[in-house]
Amino acid sequence: MLERIALHQTRLHTPGLGLDAKGVALGAKGLILLPSIDRLVALLAVYTRERSLEDLMPSLAMRVAKSKLGTREITLEFAAESSDRMDRLAETARLVGGFTFTGTARHFVQYRDSAAPFGYDATELLPTDAALALYHDHFSQTYDLERTIELRSLVLRLMPRLDPSTKLEPGMRIVVAEQGLGPALVHYFVRSRVEGDVGVAEWPPASAFDDAPVRRWIFRVPELPVRMRALMYETPGITCFVPAGPGVAVEVGHRHPVELRACPVFDAAGLVLVRAGGHEPWTLERLPPMGALTAFARVELRTVGPEASAASATSQPGAVRVPLRMAPSTTPWRKVTATWIEPAQIPLLRRLAYALPHATIAQARMAMTDRGAFVRSSAGIEAIPLGTFFVEVHPNLFVPAGHEVTPAVAPDVLSRALAAPDGQVLFLGTDARAVAVAEVAFAPMEAALLEAPPWEPLVAEAIDRLLEEGTLDLKVTPIGMLPLRGVDAPAEEAPSKERA
Amino acid sequence: MTPLVLGGAVRPGHAIGARVALDLGRLEGSWLDPELEARVQAARVRRARRWAPIDALGAATPAEWTLAASLHDLFQAANPAFDAGLRRSAAARILELARETIERVPTPADVSQALSRHTWFARILDIARTDTTVSWWIGSHTYLGVDPPRRLQAWPELRRVSVAAAPHALLELAPLAVDRSRLSDAMALLLTRTPLTELATCTREAPAFTFSQAALALVSTRTGRTLALRALAGLPPAEVDAALGRATRDLLATRRAEGAPAVTLLAERTLAQVAGHAARPQGSARGPAEAFARGLGAVAAVSLLEASREGWTPDERQRLLVALEPGARSDDAREARALLGVPA
Repeated sequence: MLERIALHQTRLHTPGLGLDAKGVALGAKGLILLPSIDRLVALLAVYTRERSLEDLMPSLAMRVAKSKLGTREITLEFAAESSDRMDRLAETARLVGGFTFTGTARHFVQYRDSAAPFGYDATELLPTDAALALYHDHFSQTYDLERTIELRSLVLRLMPRLDPSTKLEPGMRIVVAEQGLGPALVHYFVRSRVEGDVGVAEWPPASAFDDAPVRRWIFRVPELPVRMRALMYETPGITCFVPAGPGVAVEVGHRHPVELRACPVFDAAGLVLVRAGGHEPWTLERLPPMGALTAFARVELRTVGPEASAASATSQPGAVRVPLRMAPSTTPWRKVTATWIEPAQIPLLRRLAYALPHATIAQARMAMTDRGAFVRSSAGIEAIPLGTFFVEVHPNLFVPAGHEVTPAVAPDVLSRALAAPDGQVLFLGTDARAVAVAEVAFAPMEAALLEAPPWEPLVAEAIDRLLEEGTLDLKVTPIGMLPLRGVDAPAEEAPSKERA
Repeated sequence: MTPLVLGGAVRPGHAIGARVALDLGRLEGSWLDPELEARVQAARVRRARRWAPIDALGAATPAEWTLAASLHDLFQAANPAFDAGLRRSAAARILELARETIERVPTPADVSQALSRHTWFARILDIARTDTTVSWWIGSHTYLGVDPPRRLQAWPELRRVSVAAAPHALLELAPLAVDRSRLSDAMALLLTRTPLTELATCTREAPAFTFSQAALALVSTRTGRTLALRALAGLPPAEVDAALGRATRDLLATRRAEGAPAVTLLAERTLAQVAGHAARPQGSARGPAEAFARGLGAVAAVSLLEASREGWTPDERQRLLVALEPGARSDDAREARALLGVPA
């Protein structure tokens, strides 16, 4: 009933079957027929080992199908979308003993394999009202759907298998303690400086004989010390879990058959704790409010003595003021950026100006006062070897080079003590007396230095233009028909009175 | 007359003729454009102030108008359109009338008139006609004194157009409908009416410089000689020596009695050179005329120094005599002495 699709074949008999861009027969859906539930789990385990089910989830449907012979098999339907996805799933199904089909509604034909690279087409369709009609090169069978298998319930029903290696994995641990062990475990963690969060969750009573909900303490410990792991793993009443994905954790020492990180069936805001030993998982729709472990530390109240001892009066400490002095210092000079040239040395500065390089003059700023000239240069003042050099110890505060202030207060303190207003530059002399020069008084040295000579505009260019004499170019003009008309000989008398 | 002073295109019109040219000076009128008149006068003053410290020049005199009209007719006579059958005689007639007109113009009465005329006619020998030859891939054509049409210069690369423009002075023009020598004579005659121009262009090739009566009259005066020396100072010394030597030798050979001003001019020029006030020619003389001028100048300068005892200190006089001695003892100096009748 099946025939291989040939290259460039365009007509197909199976309804809902078409050819994709590669020429592969493809329906809207893909279907994997598995003989038993354990093969389904194997398929999920193999597939989720490398890929996530997230892209399959919107269209994924797992059902139990029953054939006419009464055998029950598992079908896994999903949106085919592309031959790439189908190829991946077909290979995985082939690995676990399943068959892969493709189709759209009811009739599904065998997906392509190495014998038919472009797939198969059913030349004759089975006349049936069954939900599924599968066409394989070995068989053609109809199936009725019996029930649906939810992925979440399947995952929760699967029992984790032993895997001691999870005990050694680093990372977060979720510790669940019975109600009576909770407070003691809190104090144990606090005493041991273990950081983490803690909350209390409630579950319904285990049986009708219990009238109160079951409360358990839930600890979320980001990094459980190694020395505590054995205690947490082996103490009855304390169950330790290793996070296996968002909103799900598996009991330590075990591993879930399916990679839970690849199964987006758990709410990250809740928590599912998969227990070993055949016990049902603990599920929480919403995580309870969690608090820091330190908030639950034991507190003790002082019972003796007054509540508080209040001060009767306050006052500022008495001032111990000493006069400022300047003392010679052997520390190397740094940031020598100013000099104070006394009036007697101003003529020398004038002569020196002719020898100063342009860079020095361009960078220096100078203020003229009746106490002399103050010259500042951010690049260093050593190029102007005149006057008393100053070091800038604080913005706009200068002390003589080779001196330091005593008492040895910080420059910031010294600046505050001098209380110079903004816009003033303070120079502390060797006698510890300060002079202030307004910052606006500092003008560029090249502007203050030069006495510009009077000038007069030159008009050479204008004169050149004026004196320019054009070439004399003789042009030839028509002579006319009668070139001698009006050309007469001179009269007899001499017309001009100019005679040498 | 404006282009003569300010430069630019000179467009001769219909021939003026002798009668009209002589009557031009009698007409009373002024320039139509005051601004143009001011520019022309300023240019004339600039020209005059090269040699004389004057601030104003008068308007064109009747003689200057007549000379300008004659010059116009000289250029018109050289119009290539006359170089055709039945037209050559017209060009000769125009040239002849222009010559007669120039002959009727008196020479300058004083130095100021000579200077004034020079400000008008200083550049008449600079007037040149630009002949343009346009050649393209299948032919060529020469345009005499007119601009070639633009269509012939289109697509220069595709048509392989080449344009060659060459200026030609009046006496080099070709074709010419008049006798070239007569045209040259007319131009020389015109130069005699502006003697300062004649001296200032003494290094010209044509017409060759000779001492005219007007030029001799000019350099016979102290002021005129000063102007002449200043005019000659702007020319290449060697070429001036050659021109003056040739002209002075001819003058002394033919009109010896009139040669004193020319000899004095040479003497003062040599003295200025020896004293360092004027440029001296470099190297030895390159021709007999140049050597004669140097020898004659040295002999005359020595005579001048010996004749005028005032104006020189003994040291200066001695220094100048020492500097003049080599020139005064040369062979050319001996020829000059013979011509001057000065004993050795």
